[in-house]
Amino acid sequence: MKPETDEALDTLAGEFVLGTLPPEQHTAVAERLRTDSALRAAVDAWESRLLELAALAAPQPPSLRLWGRIQRSLNELAPPASERRAKWWQRLGLWQATTAAGLAASVVLAFTLLTTPPPATQFVVVLVAPSSQAPGWVVQTSDSRTIELLPLGKDALPEGMALQFWTKGPQWGAPVSLGLVKPGEPYRVPLQSLPPLEADQLFELTLEKAGGSPTGLPTGPVKFIGRAVKVI
Amino acid sequence: MNSPVTPFDFHQCLEACAQGDRRALQALYDHEGPRLLGVARRIARDNATAEDIVHDAFIRIWTGAASYDPARGSARGWIYSITRHLALNSIRDTRRETVLDDADMAAVPTLPGRLDDLALWSGSAKIYRCLEQLQPGPQHCILHAYVDGCSHAEIATLLGAPLGTVKAWIKRSLKALRECLE
Repeated sequence: MKPETDEALDTLAGEFVLGTLPPEQHTAVAERLRTDSALRAAVDAWESRLLELAALAAPQPPSLRLWGRIQRSLNELAPPASERRAKWWQRLGLWQATTAAGLAASVVLAFTLLTTPPPATQFVVVLVAPSSQAPGWVVQTSDSRTIELLPLGKDALPEGMALQFWTKGPQWGAPVSLGLVKPGEPYRVPLQSLPPLEADQLFELTLEKAGGSPTGLPTGPVKFIGRAVKVI
Repeated sequence: MNSPVTPFDFHQCLEACAQGDRRALQALYDHEGPRLLGVARRIARDNATAEDIVHDAFIRIWTGAASYDPARGSARGWIYSITRHLALNSIRDTRRETVLDDADMAAVPTLPGRLDDLALWSGSAKIYRCLEQLQPGPQHCILHAYVDGCSHAEIATLLGAPLGTVKAWIKRSLKALRECLE
């Protein structure tokens, strides 16, 4: 790299932070930052000078599944470097002692996993009629990916009308349709397109015209409603 | 944003992350997640990509927390730099030096019209007072580049200015801002 004035270096640093350098020049600067402390100091200064401009981007609430995704990725990582420094719980003797116990535990767990039926229900929702509080349907989850809507009786449906199934998480802007339900028949919904179920999530069945709500949001009267309760 | 109650301690948060404290990272996510997503969304112009960027940023914050050096800048700045550069990298390959087509143009968010509004937003940050002293063209160059992640060519299209002019405006603005902020 040819000698450059302080000002040229500073402008280069500023453009690097702005992000306006052409790709190959950007890569070259990023590479140079590893060794060039003057350039690094200039870049750091621009990062801090321009930082407050970040406030111009309107905040946006992350989808409910983003934190779960981050956690899953963290679980796949080794612990951060500093944790690898020897601490009391990282001494060899301790590990030798606990390894045997851990091994025994994993044998037990493996056996349990092989012999236990699929995961137990995690959430349950009893949908009641708003007027009479009479339970009409039960929603249960065997995992957080599928839900089952089970009828407790069979209601007559007016001619030309349909029961539409909805859910809304505590922080969602609007309910989401889970489809049309036939009275007296169980209904299964894969929840792949929705964030994981959470406590207090609202479920309801509304009376809509045959074919479902034309607006994509509930329009008819609520026939049954309930909130998800976590089952321990 | 300008609430005076117990400011979030970014530095302490990174120290806790470096010690492997997952709750510290979650506290950061709860506190800063929407703002970081806003920054990424504005540059990526796409919700799914923006979430990928914030995901990668939090992984990088977690794995890099031990290497954060307070002598080089604030912890908050470090976190934002990681997010912004990931966002810039994500768009760099695909569209940096191509001219925006009409559909892209429509997707570029417009800037708030008046810097007075911005000052309210961000407290009394000096950068805004310095930006106000720039002519509209150079000022918009800086904002489109930093906030929208626009390339020279994209800014030229947005402002209807020749590419060479945009490049000169950016250099001149950086110099003026540096002097103003000294």
